[in-house]
Amino acid sequence: MMNTFLNLAGFGMAAWQPGSIRADEPFVYRTTSLPDFDPNLNALAQKLEPTCLLAHVRGVTHGNREGVGPANLHPFRFPGAKVALAHNGHLREFPRMRYDLVAHVAPELAERIQGTTDSEWIYALVLSMLDDPYGAPELDELTHATACALRVLRDVRERRGIDTSSPVNLFLTTGEALVATRFSFDYGWYPADNMMLETDLPYVSLWYTVGGRYEGSDGESRMVGDDGEHSLLIASEPLTVDISTWLEVPEYSVIAARRTPDGLDYEMLDLDV
Amino acid sequence: MSDPEWVAFLGTVPLLEGLSEAELAELAHIMRPRTLAEGEVLWHEGQHARSMVLIVDGNVSVAKRLPGDRAVEVAGLGPREALGEIPLVDGGEHSATVRATEATTVLALSRPDFAALVSRRHPSAFALKRRVATVATQRLRQTFGSLAASLGEEACGDSGAAPGQTPEKLELCGPPDSAYIRRMATFRDVDALALWGFLTAGRYAFCPRGHVLAAEGASPSACYLTINGAVEKVLIRGDRRIRVELAGPGQTFGYEGLIDGLNSPVTAITRERSLLLVLTEESFARLFGGDTDVSHVFLDVINRNLAASLRQAMRPQARLAVRA
Repeated sequence: MMNTFLNLAGFGMAAWQPGSIRADEPFVYRTTSLPDFDPNLNALAQKLEPTCLLAHVRGVTHGNREGVGPANLHPFRFPGAKVALAHNGHLREFPRMRYDLVAHVAPELAERIQGTTDSEWIYALVLSMLDDPYGAPELDELTHATACALRVLRDVRERRGIDTSSPVNLFLTTGEALVATRFSFDYGWYPADNMMLETDLPYVSLWYTVGGRYEGSDGESRMVGDDGEHSLLIASEPLTVDISTWLEVPEYSVIAARRTPDGLDYEMLDLDV
Repeated sequence: MSDPEWVAFLGTVPLLEGLSEAELAELAHIMRPRTLAEGEVLWHEGQHARSMVLIVDGNVSVAKRLPGDRAVEVAGLGPREALGEIPLVDGGEHSATVRATEATTVLALSRPDFAALVSRRHPSAFALKRRVATVATQRLRQTFGSLAASLGEEACGDSGAAPGQTPEKLELCGPPDSAYIRRMATFRDVDALALWGFLTAGRYAFCPRGHVLAAEGASPSACYLTINGAVEKVLIRGDRRIRVELAGPGQTFGYEGLIDGLNSPVTAITRERSLLLVLTEESFARLFGGDTDVSHVFLDVINRNLAASLRQAMRPQARLAVRA
């Protein structure tokens, strides 16, 4: 039990909905309760109709070292910032890296870090790579900033001699532009005492489905419509039993997508950092 | 049909080419005929595989579903052709839906019956596994060929990658902790003695990141098993590429040309620094062609890897740009 990974550490989401008050600001909801048993979330889901949604269920290893609380819930979005981030993965030996990262994070952003997660530091690092950390970057700038942040992390890991597998699947969005990575540092290398090796051996997954709209029919949801690509859904695992309409994002790559007047543009880029 | 007639029919099936009459008779004894009406579905895509079939007479269509609630027919198959032979050995799911386009008779070999042959170490089980590997390799080459063509085919061998390094020039190192190997999904249920035989059949080598181990179009010199790290199998045409597979811990690569005697269909490059088990051409031939417990383990590892490679290659592949 001490080394079991449990998705019981809370839920969070940010939803951008045109027509709402201050539409460029997302509706944000975070709770340390379990999403499956959260009547508030269920009620909100009945009412919201966002054009972009970033949602995250947090998992932690059972034990004493992980902090479970509101400050550690994803997605992260500092007050006034336009970019939100959620992270699926973990940086091994992060406490050994934390203070090296201070040199790469803008001081006013470092001051805003409230929690104890590696993910919030990655968020502050990506914002620090933007021309204006509080602006709404175009897709190219957000993609570039993400790759730059990963390069900084690689450099710090090398400096500290950290060379074991650390998955960094990131989801960043402004509500208009979206970047999602499927990436791992030192994939395939594990600490000798890794009690969760069987869980860690496969590359952390990332899937997507694209089409006209994602809707329910016959008791199951799926992407339907062949009148162009208007909807993109990215998830750590396929959300339906029938996975034939889901595609796997290649390892070491990034999906970069943005909404356009006609639908959406997206491309897959090799992430060689 | 009588038993001799079934044996005669099996002798005309390309999948079973090279099997002796005694091996064919053993298969004829355990295979069961089944008839399908026009339009009847033999199995659905994603359904757990319970058998492989050989088409005796009639025709079937093979269709795959696509995003957006669409489907596309990917093949039409007729007499003497095989279906489901890869899930038969790797125990996976069917990769496409098969429907009879006219009244059709098939001969089915169930997984339990095949497993019984394997457990008795019957020669027909080894022979069938080798044939499945050969047929899967052919299909993999066809699929890679289509993917390469979609990138804009250039002259064979002009893949843009550096030539592969011969195994003799690799930096040799000691074996890994066997407890680590046993926790890999590939080896979890494998007999300890047979696993030891497999793991001592080759040498261990360390490769830095970005190292070309096999070049597309070049003659293969070794088969590799990734112990730590990751090796990407890519098709490269100029500045465009498709990664057809990532061989992480427990996965093999470099074997296609050793199975069919042709050149390497892809380029294999270490994406991470990697620790590899290197099986020379001679070691590969001994393991692949043998009928021992170690060969049994090895054939399963190769066939499971081929099945995974085929499933991966048959999925829509992302074209990776290199801007990020």
